[in-house]
Amino acid sequence: MAGGSVMDFSSVMFRHKVPAPKWYNPFKKQRGAGIAELDLTLQSGQIVGLVGTNGAGKTTLLRMMSGVLPIESGHVSAKGTILSGQQLRKRVGFMPEHVRWSGQESVEQTLVEFALLRGCSKDSALDILGVIGLKNRASSALDSLSQGMRQRLSLGIALLGTPDVLVLDEPFNGMDPVAIDAFKRLLQSLARKGIAIVISSHHLFELDQLIDTLALLHRGQLVAHGTTTSIQEKLGFEQLTEVCLDSELPDKLMKKLEVLEHSSTDVAHHMILQSVPENLLKDIVESGIGVITWREIQPSLIELLCAATGLDRQSIGMDVENSAWLPMRKIQGEEE
Amino acid sequence: MTTSARMWKLVLIVFRRRVLSTRMLIMLPILFLFIPGMAWGFSDPNIQLPADQIPETAAETMFLASIGIVFAGTMAAVLLAHDGISRDRQSGVLELRLSQPMPRWRQSMILVIGNWASIAAPVTILLLISMWLVGYRSDMWISAGDSVVFVLAAWFVLLWYTVFALLASSLAKEQGSAIAFSIGLWFLFTLLWVLFTTLIAALNGVAVGESKDAAYSVFEGRLDLLSPNGVYHHLLETRLDNVNRGVSATGAFLAALAWTLFPLLWLTRRIKQLVP
Repeated sequence: MAGGSVMDFSSVMFRHKVPAPKWYNPFKKQRGAGIAELDLTLQSGQIVGLVGTNGAGKTTLLRMMSGVLPIESGHVSAKGTILSGQQLRKRVGFMPEHVRWSGQESVEQTLVEFALLRGCSKDSALDILGVIGLKNRASSALDSLSQGMRQRLSLGIALLGTPDVLVLDEPFNGMDPVAIDAFKRLLQSLARKGIAIVISSHHLFELDQLIDTLALLHRGQLVAHGTTTSIQEKLGFEQLTEVCLDSELPDKLMKKLEVLEHSSTDVAHHMILQSVPENLLKDIVESGIGVITWREIQPSLIELLCAATGLDRQSIGMDVENSAWLPMRKIQGEEE
Repeated sequence: MTTSARMWKLVLIVFRRRVLSTRMLIMLPILFLFIPGMAWGFSDPNIQLPADQIPETAAETMFLASIGIVFAGTMAAVLLAHDGISRDRQSGVLELRLSQPMPRWRQSMILVIGNWASIAAPVTILLLISMWLVGYRSDMWISAGDSVVFVLAAWFVLLWYTVFALLASSLAKEQGSAIAFSIGLWFLFTLLWVLFTTLIAALNGVAVGESKDAAYSVFEGRLDLLSPNGVYHHLLETRLDNVNRGVSATGAFLAALAWTLFPLLWLTRRIKQLVP
């Protein structure tokens, strides 16, 4: 699905300024967590899933990608041309995580306002209404929209001006399952049109079904990026296969297998195999055993994240990154 | 459509949003009471003012009535604009605005002009009504030159308070701090400035309390250049005879320019570096 490179992020870096009050300056700030020299190439029509624990820097990275936060060092380029902040914003459509649309303005007025900010026509803003499924609510006040509709409106604004790259921060939040399904279809159709999409989401099941490549972020650094298969290989995951048969395998075949799990009932024999010898399926079928299930088991995104970051699966959900993502340096006698 | 044309359309959107807001509905009667109300009162032929001050021209009456702008106009400007940035920051809309390709200096100008115009428009109408009221009640009609200066000076002071409120809104992380900062500044320049001036004058050995003391007048006049309300009054005084507070018309105009440019530049810089 992916085409040529649409945008390159080279050694981009940003660090937040965090309060560090001193008695002589209660407003003093110092540099805290952020994104460390990150390289990422976005391909046309590619859907990239950005996964990391809380505080890993996902939102910061997405804000940098969309030009909301400045790039302190490194650069962003498109087709060999280094982009300024304004050029970057022109090419990227951004959907932030939390937009609480409120007020008496209508959906249409809001889209038209952002179309003016983006530099596209009123007609294109009205066309977006159909794309995001809010045509019937065009004249509704923002106050009357449900959370899912507000998410769609945010997506509509991100789509204004036909961006090359779509950056979505937790787009599935507040959506019902039907809306999520429609949303995923919409994203897939946008990707087919050549738009590169970067999605950060904690809805890993939805993400897993949607993405072409995965970017694992940990403590402001990209620890792995590529297709799920390439990351599995890089991280040393072995291919597991789930097999369910209608009768027990003969000993001759069993001896060839590395069985991780084995359970049997009167009607089915279930196994998880670490490696599958060549012609196993053929041998099973020729021995007259019926195959009920035969599927390769992919490691979940959580397992990949744990393997890439070294975090424990039991505690990963509760782990919040600390800000000490880089060693502190002394600058002019003061700790940075 | 050119970027400038888009900018003006966005100014109109901000203007319409503010003018049709509930808070404008609440403030309009207050503005009406303070601006034409003051003009009505000060144009009473039988008015008794302290220190035997009797307005002898329409410009003098309008000068006295300008207290309505200082109290209600500037307060309305602050109340209209105080959440110009902080509200969007809290709702997450600011992040979306900052991700748009329109240059941020233009976005800051949209905010300033839109918010300023929304208070300047009703105040201008009320000022024109006030001028008519003064002429109608006292039969002293204000000259075209005076009326232009009075309207322009009002536009200036409203612009300054709008920019202060937006600056406060950009500095504050939430609306409570934004309004506290804006109202605090309004309070300082509108109510506490007299105390500040008196204190500084006393420390400098000037005869405080002697309202007709020339040295105090000049001292107060110069110190007033440090306050937006003071500069506003200096601009109005350029149209009054027999007023000498040590500041020339050029000085007053330059001070007005400084009060316009520096906060505007500060605000533009803030918005350029703004993070959600």
